[in-house]
Amino acid sequence: MRLVVDSIEYCAKEVPKWNTISISGYHIREAGSTAAQELAFTLADGMAYVDACLERGMRIDDFASRLSFFFDAHIDFFEEIAKFRAARRIWARWMRERYGAQDERSWKLRFHTQTAGVSLTAQQPELNIARTAIEALAAVLGGTQSLHTNAMDEVLALPTDKAARLALRTQQLLAYETGVANTIDPLGGSYFVEALTDEMERQAEAYFKRIEDLGGVIPAIEVGFFQKEIADASFRYQQELEQKRRLVVGVNEFTVDEEEPIDILRIDPKLETEQVARVRDVRARRDQARCSNALAQLRKAAAGTDNLMPYILEAVRAYATEGEIMNAMVEVFGIYTERAVI
Amino acid sequence: MSTKTEVRPVRIVLAKVGLDGHDRGVKVVARALRDAGYEVIYTGLRQTPEMVVDAALQEDAQVIGLSIHSGAHMTLFPAVVQELKRRKATDIVVFGGGIIPDDDIAALKQHGVAELFTPGTPLQGIVDWLRKRFPEGAR
Repeated sequence: MRLVVDSIEYCAKEVPKWNTISISGYHIREAGSTAAQELAFTLADGMAYVDACLERGMRIDDFASRLSFFFDAHIDFFEEIAKFRAARRIWARWMRERYGAQDERSWKLRFHTQTAGVSLTAQQPELNIARTAIEALAAVLGGTQSLHTNAMDEVLALPTDKAARLALRTQQLLAYETGVANTIDPLGGSYFVEALTDEMERQAEAYFKRIEDLGGVIPAIEVGFFQKEIADASFRYQQELEQKRRLVVGVNEFTVDEEEPIDILRIDPKLETEQVARVRDVRARRDQARCSNALAQLRKAAAGTDNLMPYILEAVRAYATEGEIMNAMVEVFGIYTERAVI
Repeated sequence: MSTKTEVRPVRIVLAKVGLDGHDRGVKVVARALRDAGYEVIYTGLRQTPEMVVDAALQEDAQVIGLSIHSGAHMTLFPAVVQELKRRKATDIVVFGGGIIPDDDIAALKQHGVAELFTPGTPLQGIVDWLRKRFPEGAR
């Protein structure tokens, strides 16, 4: 939390146009959460960051407009659109009413979207092109600012050039051929989408209440609340598949006897040795005194209350590696050990 | 009084090895195996082969199940088998699951990994395999 607030505080002063953090729901959803859980947990995290910044003494309008979000676009088309719309509504309301933000830009929830890796199938993988297109469309109709479309073969390996290009072309097709990006909130007013958006909002508010009752986001993590909710949802989903109460084309229905293999990308193990050599080379050629001094200063600052960003940046300029920078802080902060919740 | 030898449930250590945060599958498998009557210990993320073998020995497990989605299975799975050899614990059965290309499966089996389950495997498929492998529980 301190490092997050340090980054936001530093950037508000020194790099005011930088999007300081990307508050992510993607990993929550990919871990098996429902749409409502993704929405609620991500926004709750966002508010926890806002609270921490205010506690540091920052003013809401000095940093809120540069916060950004990162959501998943799963396969249930209208539910996803409702999720994005609900996110924007909730954020705007909380920014205005709870935090008293005056600047309109602080009310705006800007978000990146990635299509759902978890929805793709290793079986008949070409189908993933269709899935990704539908998910990307939901993100656009839900008002995303930026978009990542997964490649069809990412269920099997890192993507080939061809698969990555197809994923990019899917976005370009949406952007330049279909016209779907020409209108803001084109589904606003649809009885179904509005009702679903209200329902999403209601479910998120219920979760906010439960998180608050647990003492906030961090205590809720510590007692395994989020982890348990996500694991339960994930297991329910899998059981629906096993019992065919939910169909996934090519997996539990409409299967083929012989899957046609597709070409996948193989990473040459040489890459690892080459990268190791590059890091060794950088370490050998850098100004050792400057580097060790920067790391020593970082350790010292971590033990105190200074904003750590200038110390981290000096370490980077002195060619300290990410591992070294992290380890310097680990020496002071220790390592978080996950409580394994199943 | 019964003289029947006590059958104790098979104990399984499930682990995520290496730098890999994708734990949705392993957690679902953990619950399914637990529901099927196995004793399941899940190690959590970012385990080294040494940590996994340590856990299996400490828990007196008969089986290690490795989950991997990072692409490093050709390095990490054999490393676990090697570590079991080094610790003279080759009676522990190793199986794995995750994103593992078909071409790698045969090679991993040669390295001593007993079975591999790839995306789309029904949970019952894993349970059935364990039942076949340990028809009488853990002795």
